[in-house]
Order: sequence, then structure tokens, then C-alpha cells
Amino acid sequence: MQRISVTARLNRSTLQFEEAAFVRLESYLAEAARTLEGNPDQQEILNDLEQAVADQCTRRTRPDQGAVTLAELEPALEEIGSVQVPGAAAAPEYSARAATRPLQQVSEGAVVSGVCQGLARYFGLNVTALRIFAVLLLFISGGGMILVYFAFMLLMPYAPLEPGGRPLGWLPAKSRVFIEFLRTKFRLATN
Amino acid sequence: MTDESKLAPIRKGLLEFLVLKIVGTESMYVPDILRRLAGTEFSTQEGTLYPLLSKLRREDLVHYEWKESDLGPPRKYYRLTDSGRAQLTALDEYWNLINRTIADIGH
Repeated sequence: MQRISVTARLNRSTLQFEEAAFVRLESYLAEAARTLEGNPDQQEILNDLEQAVADQCTRRTRPDQGAVTLAELEPALEEIGSVQVPGAAAAPEYSARAATRPLQQVSEGAVVSGVCQGLARYFGLNVTALRIFAVLLLFISGGGMILVYFAFMLLMPYAPLEPGGRPLGWLPAKSRVFIEFLRTKFRLATN
Repeated sequence: MTDESKLAPIRKGLLEFLVLKIVGTESMYVPDILRRLAGTEFSTQEGTLYPLLSKLRREDLVHYEWKESDLGPPRKYYRLTDSGRAQLTALDEYWNLINRTIADIGH
């Protein structure tokens, strides 16, 4: 019987892992993803961590060696440490600081334009809950909510985009281009 | 022996300041930043630093650029933005003020 190894693509590197190591790595990354739930940079941070794992494993193994073993992966993960969200442990301090952050639309991971994500970030709310609330308002208002959303789109500046970050969805990208076109056309200053 | 649970939040709060200071000297990638902090009271890990840097980037205090590396894939080099530099100067002044207050009070 032969031991099965798994080829894993970690951000920009490709590495071989023994089955047990691969399972351990999967659970580490899943845990990290859970901790970063709702963070607009979740995917980017996960990519950074994947790259850190790849670099650590490459450093800890010989170039001619086959798959990374669990015994080699564990100290690598130990050194990287579990994901700590800045300010998460001290919730009151976090919300006090959130108020000093700019109120901006966040395009990455947006459904329409990023208004809900921006408001959720600014007020320290759960973005999913806010979206559900917005959809409820859409029905209750008989469509008037569309105008309110559009007003927010026009008035809230866009947060700077990730250089080389994850691609925007079709609608967020179109919304951003359209709103920026309107702003230039009507010289709407948002900053 | 000082109670560790009282010191940990102090370090945690100051880490952001320290990171701004470090990337304020020259553009750096994460292992460089970790090395600068290793062996100090602020020694930290990738799992803490990447989320912190992403938060600082969202706040427009730092930004990064990709640089090619001979040893592997391109690396992210972080440095201060103009508003990051202004923030760092303000933090530095505030830190000095706090230090003076702590030294003066009770005398």
C-alpha cells in the first residue's frame, strides 16, 4: 500500500502534503476563515496566511524531499499562530475606534455597490443582518428603499481598491464605474 | 511578579503603533517586521500581523507594493502612506505626553 499525498495550491506556491498534514492544514485555514468572517479583507488575509504556510514549509523541508509531513507542518503552524483579529477581544474599544474610520463603500465582496458593507464596518454591525434588514425595508417601502440606497451610493465615497486584490463582482464593478461617472459628470465631491 | 493579564492588553494596544514605526523607517515585508519585533515584548506572529496590516491598509495608514523575489513568489512590501505618517507623528507625541504624565504624577 502506498501513502497518498495531496498537491495543494497555497496562494502562489504549490506543495505536496501527506494526507494527515493536508487535513490539518485544511482545518487551520477553515478556522482562520471563521475568525475572519465578515472582514472585507478575509480572502486577502487567507491568501497571505497560505503563502506564509508555503514559505514556512519550504524552509523546513529539503528541496528533494517528497510530501510535507504532519510533524513538519505542526511547528510551521505554531510559528504562524492562530488568527487574531485586531481589537476583537476588546469590543467596546473596537466600536469606539470604528467611529474614527471613514464611512465608505467597500466594493470587494459587495452584493450591489458596497453600501451595506460600508455601513456595517462603520457602525460595527453584522453585514448579513444589515443586508436582510435592507431587503425587508425594500419590501416594506414598496421600492422607495431603492432611492435611499441610490442616495447612499452617490454620497458615500468608495474605499480604496485592493492593488492586485480579489476581483470585484460584476454588479459592484459596474456600480462603482457608473457612480464615479455620475460624480465626475455632476462634480459631486464626496471627500 | 507583575500580573501578566494586566500587561497583555497594554502590549496589544501598542502593537499597531510599533508596526507603524517599523514600516515608517523603510518599506518592509512581513518576515522583516516579525524579525524586528522578535525578542522584544512585542514579539508576534503572522496570524496577528496580517489581519492588523490589512486593517491599517483599510484605514489608509499603510499600503503595499509587490516586489519580485529571487527566492520564491513576489512579496508584499508595506510602507506608510502620508496619513500613516501623520498618524505616527501624532502617536509619537501622545506617547511622549503619556510618558511625562506617568513620570510626573505622584511626585
